[in-house]
Amino acid sequence: MNAAPVLELRSISKNFRALQALSEVNFDLREGETHALCGENGAGKSTLMRILAGIYSEYQGEYLLDGQPVHFRSPREALRRGIGMIHQELSVMPELTVAENMFLGRQPISPHGTVDWGAMNRTAEEELAKLGFLEIDVRRPLEKYPLGIQQVVEVLRTILSGARVLIMDEPTTALSPAEIERLIQLIDTLRRTHRSIVYISHFISEVMRVADRITILRDGRNVGTVERQDSTVGVLISMILGREVSAAAPPPASAKEHERVLLDVKGLGADAFTEVTLQVGAGEVVGLYGAIGAGHFETARALFGLYRYDEGSVAVAGETFPRVFSPRFAIEHGVAYAIESRRKSLFLDDAIFKNITLPHLHRIGRFVPRLSKELEIAGAAITLVGVHPPEPRNPVGKLSGGNQQKVALARWLTFPPKVLVVAEPTRGMDVGAKSEVLKIVRDLAEQGIAVLVASSEPETVLAVSDRIVVMSRGRVVRQLMNTNLDKDVLMRLL
Amino acid sequence: MNRSEGPVLEKEGSRKRRRAGARTWTERFTALAPLWTLLVLGIVFGFGSGGSFLRTVNLNNILIQSSPLAILATGMTFVLLTGEIDLSIAAVMGLTGMIAARLYLDLEIPEPWAVLVALLCATGLGLVNGVVSMRFRIPTFMTTLAMSMIADGLNQWVSGGKTIFQLSSLVQDIGSARIGGDDSLLRVMTAIAIGTLLVGLLVLRFTRFGRYVYMSGASKSAARLAGVNVNMVIISCLTICGFLSGVAGVVMAGHLGSALPTSIPSFLIETIAAVVLGGTALTGGRGSMFLTAVGVLIYETLRNGLDNITSINNFMKVFITGLVLLVALIVNVVFSGHRERDLA
Repeated sequence: MNAAPVLELRSISKNFRALQALSEVNFDLREGETHALCGENGAGKSTLMRILAGIYSEYQGEYLLDGQPVHFRSPREALRRGIGMIHQELSVMPELTVAENMFLGRQPISPHGTVDWGAMNRTAEEELAKLGFLEIDVRRPLEKYPLGIQQVVEVLRTILSGARVLIMDEPTTALSPAEIERLIQLIDTLRRTHRSIVYISHFISEVMRVADRITILRDGRNVGTVERQDSTVGVLISMILGREVSAAAPPPASAKEHERVLLDVKGLGADAFTEVTLQVGAGEVVGLYGAIGAGHFETARALFGLYRYDEGSVAVAGETFPRVFSPRFAIEHGVAYAIESRRKSLFLDDAIFKNITLPHLHRIGRFVPRLSKELEIAGAAITLVGVHPPEPRNPVGKLSGGNQQKVALARWLTFPPKVLVVAEPTRGMDVGAKSEVLKIVRDLAEQGIAVLVASSEPETVLAVSDRIVVMSRGRVVRQLMNTNLDKDVLMRLL
Repeated sequence: MNRSEGPVLEKEGSRKRRRAGARTWTERFTALAPLWTLLVLGIVFGFGSGGSFLRTVNLNNILIQSSPLAILATGMTFVLLTGEIDLSIAAVMGLTGMIAARLYLDLEIPEPWAVLVALLCATGLGLVNGVVSMRFRIPTFMTTLAMSMIADGLNQWVSGGKTIFQLSSLVQDIGSARIGGDDSLLRVMTAIAIGTLLVGLLVLRFTRFGRYVYMSGASKSAARLAGVNVNMVIISCLTICGFLSGVAGVVMAGHLGSALPTSIPSFLIETIAAVVLGGTALTGGRGSMFLTAVGVLIYETLRNGLDNITSINNFMKVFITGLVLLVALIVNVVFSGHRERDLA
């Protein structure tokens, strides 16, 4: 395929205040080509994709469409010129029918000025049939169909709106293996109809299957564009990380007999994960690593009673939990949980001390908690974790993200739990705050707490864990001792 | 979160950072915006009425007129603080007075049992509001709306559509007797209202339950993550509100000297207005019992004050009340800093 590029970016730069997200990036997309964008979190993939789709309209550099310079001010404008985006979170209307979704905002109109349902349903059926989806009833609500089909409908809608270029952001994270196969076939069909696709994914092996060319971004720079057939998974990972990686796989963790297993999860299964079995011993930090959508966050939530599971069992310090339990039950039986969304887990408008003492209020005073005691407990806890400024009466919302996370962890210092589950503890923090927060997590483990850290950031997991459990597509794929492990090992397992 | 108590960010390079946690005088001043509104209204009516407004008798009248509203508002504050609402208070109030009257008159149940059973019914209806809403995840807006029709319907059925004038002496005393002899200004109902507000204030301010109420309202998800049984807190608040609606019902029946076969619907909207005037956020988590009391007084002062200015056309009074309420609400929101922070 040596056709002229449909779309070309020339030395694109974009910065957010002090942060240089992209510098002088070149990128081109040929007709009928599937071009993958790879890179670590924060490498600039999302920024580039948003510029392509017209979401960001302020940037430096040139954007050429069919050789003509363009500058989109909105995604709508980009779509009008044939560039459509499929977001990771689908933007379909589940209550509307399949056909309505495909023609959202552009329903065919009959001569009487009403919606021409017959024509709409017929066209929808034809379009789906062209792609081999014969079993879909376009008159049924879209929500009756699995996510894979909903995604197909969104792709079709974008194409029917006139898109020649499709930008797909992590399209497979929530799909089952069979659905992924179908998506790959769909991409092949689109390729035959000369549509071009920008494909963004964490899964290197998947990229190797669908892409014609692969562009790797690192720290906001284009470090190279390679043809798929000239490349291997190892080469790509080296380019993504910017250094040579060893080809040898590390030894799997020996099923080390822990003298005191505090968290024992056996065969846990739900829709988002299956047969998750893991153990965390007293004083141990276990990393639960996976790409977004791997089911590790849902697993973490299940351990705190926030996500229903259908199979398997959770036991804490030898006591098996009931199938359905509340967060309150979990706390009372020694499980603590800190999630990544501080907005959801903290009371930002309320004083730090109220945030810290809330789970333990019944221990501070049966009916009337004493303010002095509360302040004493909270004061000690925030000094220990180093919240700055250390003033327990300040509202949490005034603190920086890192300090807020420290407050979330400081909660569990005074009355330590047996098991602490932390989800994505360092998202969006600078390096200094990250290492401080991770040190607190380690310190908590030193006290004899069993800590499980669920994260999609390999750095976080590597920095804090004794052992790493890797999940991919809802399953545990490997358990590794964290000795001389490198990022590439984790990325390969996704 | 979109409520704030002061500035969100302290600008870099601002002068000496003030002692963290200490509130500035401006913040203290604006936090009490409803109180200043009440003072301004008092001054305006004091002058506007040519002295009749500020007479002791009239001021005491305001207290007396406020009493049923204050009791209702106490219950409503609990509910609104959790971010929920109870639309059944006026209906439950009417029903309770009627039950007490019928039990005493027709079933000849001696006092205080008739009143106590009636209060138990009101509490039970509040409990039903809470349990049904939480168990079936129906918004309290809907359940309590249904409950208001149920209670109204029960009232009509129990009363057979007739007003009852023969009340027990207990109910009459609650509604009209004075404490400390005939010359005393303090009415029993005023004492009940003040007592209710005071207990409510102490519970909200100092108890563990009070903290749970505020935190559940501020963020249900965060409260759950901290192990607070949010559903139980909401059920408790709706039960408290039911009970207090009942108390207000008995007080009102005594005050009117009769039990009516229909409720007085305006009590619902007046209660919500008074609580919100006090600065309690409809979204929950923010507000105080003290300011609820102030809100109730603002409302009654407004009504009473307009009656004392003879030059105002009677037909204009409702219009003016609405207008002043709107202005007072705007003032409260602007000056108490409850502005939207995050517009996303």
